[in-house]
Amino acid sequence: MSDWGMQKAALGERLTAGRQHAKGKIIPIPSLPAFLKAVVRSGDRVCLEGDNQKQADILASALANLDPADISDLHMVQSGVVLPSHLDIFEKGIARRLDFSYSGPQSARIARMLFGRKIELGAVHTYLELFARYFIDLTPNVALIAAVSADKDGNLYTGPNTEDTPTVVEATSYKNGLVVAQVTEIVDKVPRVDIPGDLVHFVVEAGRPFYVEPLFTRDPAAITETQILTAMLAIKGIYAPYGVRRLNHGIGFNTAAIELLLPTYGEKLGLKGKVCTHFALNPHPTMIPAIESGWVEQIHCFGSEVGMEDYVAARSDIFFTGPDGSLRSNRAFCQTAGLYACDMFIGSTLQIDLEGHSSTVTTSRIAGFGGAPNMGSDPRGRRHPSEPWLKAGAEAAPDSSAAMRRGRKLVVQIGETFGDSNVPLFVEQLDALELARKLDLDLAPVMVYSDDVTHIVTEEGIANLLMCRTKDEREQAIRGVAGYTDIGRARDANLVEQLRQRGVIQRPEDLGIDPLDADRRLLAARSIKDLMLASGGLYRPPSRFRNW
Amino acid sequence: MTAVTANTVSLSWYEASARQRIDALVDAGSFTEFIGPELREMSPHLAIFDLPEQFDDGVVIGRGRLDGAPVLIAAQEGRFMGGAFGEVHGAKLTGLLRAARAQHQDVLILFDTGGVRLQEANAGELAIAEIMRAVVEARRDGLSVVGLIGGRAGCYGGGSLIGGTCSRLIVSEQGRISVSGPEVIETNRGIEEFDSRDRALVWRTMGGKHRFLIGGADMFVDDEALAFRKAAIDALKVGRRCDVTVLEAEQTRLERRLQRFGEAEDAVEIWQALGVDNPTDVPALPTSAFLRAADNRENADDAR
Repeated sequence: MSDWGMQKAALGERLTAGRQHAKGKIIPIPSLPAFLKAVVRSGDRVCLEGDNQKQADILASALANLDPADISDLHMVQSGVVLPSHLDIFEKGIARRLDFSYSGPQSARIARMLFGRKIELGAVHTYLELFARYFIDLTPNVALIAAVSADKDGNLYTGPNTEDTPTVVEATSYKNGLVVAQVTEIVDKVPRVDIPGDLVHFVVEAGRPFYVEPLFTRDPAAITETQILTAMLAIKGIYAPYGVRRLNHGIGFNTAAIELLLPTYGEKLGLKGKVCTHFALNPHPTMIPAIESGWVEQIHCFGSEVGMEDYVAARSDIFFTGPDGSLRSNRAFCQTAGLYACDMFIGSTLQIDLEGHSSTVTTSRIAGFGGAPNMGSDPRGRRHPSEPWLKAGAEAAPDSSAAMRRGRKLVVQIGETFGDSNVPLFVEQLDALELARKLDLDLAPVMVYSDDVTHIVTEEGIANLLMCRTKDEREQAIRGVAGYTDIGRARDANLVEQLRQRGVIQRPEDLGIDPLDADRRLLAARSIKDLMLASGGLYRPPSRFRNW
Repeated sequence: MTAVTANTVSLSWYEASARQRIDALVDAGSFTEFIGPELREMSPHLAIFDLPEQFDDGVVIGRGRLDGAPVLIAAQEGRFMGGAFGEVHGAKLTGLLRAARAQHQDVLILFDTGGVRLQEANAGELAIAEIMRAVVEARRDGLSVVGLIGGRAGCYGGGSLIGGTCSRLIVSEQGRISVSGPEVIETNRGIEEFDSRDRALVWRTMGGKHRFLIGGADMFVDDEALAFRKAAIDALKVGRRCDVTVLEAEQTRLERRLQRFGEAEDAVEIWQALGVDNPTDVPALPTSAFLRAADNRENADDAR
């Protein structure tokens, strides 16, 4: 007969050990090192909350300052590996195994540590995948999370950056794990309860806000005319004919250009109300002009964006906000929304190969996936119809029976044929393959697989891959918009011309777009200040984005 | 085909190219270019570094009419090598200033420059010296040399030295004037001294509003080509001397300014010392409110 209740008993031991250092649920900062040493056990699976944006930075440093003689062999399960301390934990030998999904600024160091075998890699996930595994086989024993404020009972207010917290707490606390939160301050009453105190065991008063990075601010001043041209092509050649109303935009200057062209170019095309009405999207500052001119009905957010708090609070008709007025974001729900309730994903990438696989990996960096593979994939479990979805499905399989035909999500890759530092967007082979070989990975880290991509947009035109019938056609369609890159120059001119006759490739002139019209004056805002003014002063850009 | 909605009514000076600025500045259709791109007077140095050249070497010079009166004009193209001074670029400006003296015509210099072009630094530094001399000589002959600053590259390095010799400077909020650029200061003195990525810091230290408040520029205008045009017309109406008395007055003013503000750690302290109400609000003020707040600014009216 099994001895049931062992996990509850183990949690009880941790709670008892932790209370030695606490006043009620509150851990004073000076007691944090001793507290962590008392509640974390060697071999624990630990979720150190590192999200796309907010970071439990105080807890991360404290964890990295533990003595590996006391605590070692931790298995870190966290979506973002973003802070240097996240990797110091491995460098010092406190943690050994890592399952994560995004590593942005630490991508080069992670790669070096993997080569040096300082990290034993479980897998690189998408956000939803990792969240899913929290509930199946990667359930944390300890979660170290971040919030804005707490009351003495442990009720947490996360502010606009709720992000991953509810998911992490759900998986940990309901499965007998220990939840420790760092908060800026302890208050008598939290503005709203984002996480119920029952699920939170201890609270550390950090005395300062958690670290958060403005990842989604794109300065309109840096948008080029080539990017404007690609945006015009996308709007007129994809948004308009498919009537895309529900969508997600990736980060990047191409999509920022689209956002800023809606109130000008989009308005001229008569598309207001017909496209871009519902988004799964962070509060991009470049969305302000479109929102203010009445294009957008609703936006659900993965996270927030630094400086956008007051604007979002004042636009509760558009955004999801709490009774306190501020944004409520939720990464797991928004990822699900982007996957199942959006008809299109459009985003930039670094490399596209001849089949149409794309990747943001270079040989010396492991940047992870984040959410893009979920956004940029066709969900096989989708069952509700919509016009763009059905139209894309029909283009992919025109001879099949309409009632039995799956629709297709539009997955659009957009970029200039030569990207930053004139590096070609199109390549014979993705660097991801070389990385997989060097690291002995079973899978090459592909961001968006070829069979999910439906369109590629460059300044040379749009390639509609749905309408390609053979591998050869697909390759020529890609070469046909690859401009003067080696890939583009090796095209079969006759085949490309045939594809153009069939509308598989559309040039700017085929769409009635004069490249000379791609002028920065088309942008609804041309600077961060324009965005601030468009928001009526509600958007408060961080210092580093201001040029006044 | 749908017509696009480019905004042709107002032209952002910051966004515009050198040629767009000239077109919007002078009386319609009055501009004639000297040594235009068709002559392909290009840098003899850039090819050595395998760098692209431009047929006008990044500066457009010529003659136009401003409110009916003939003026000579030079406009730097900030999008070509940051508007930097190279050998040909510098020679075109020097020549224009000498022509001004010969023909007794005022000059407008539309600055948009990071300073001297590193790939032809000797020629560029020499050009700066020659241009400054030519500006002073033109001014001693009673001519006005007016600088207009509001481009993306700002007015840095040698460009700011030339600016210092001009009879009037017109600046917009976006315009930046400084000898050393933000990155240069950070590289040499450390991020604690100056964080070049803190753009708000950059603008309140080198930007148009601050320069106007401390007398580093004489007229403050909106980021609009038309506003620059009006200010240029006004600037040319004011007669300017350039003799020992004027230079001594400027020296005295600068010494007094250093004494007054030399200890300030941040521009905001200077604005406070100038008696600006709510000095921290200065960056956010729209032009009209800013001009009211700038009532007690330092000015160089007697010194230029």
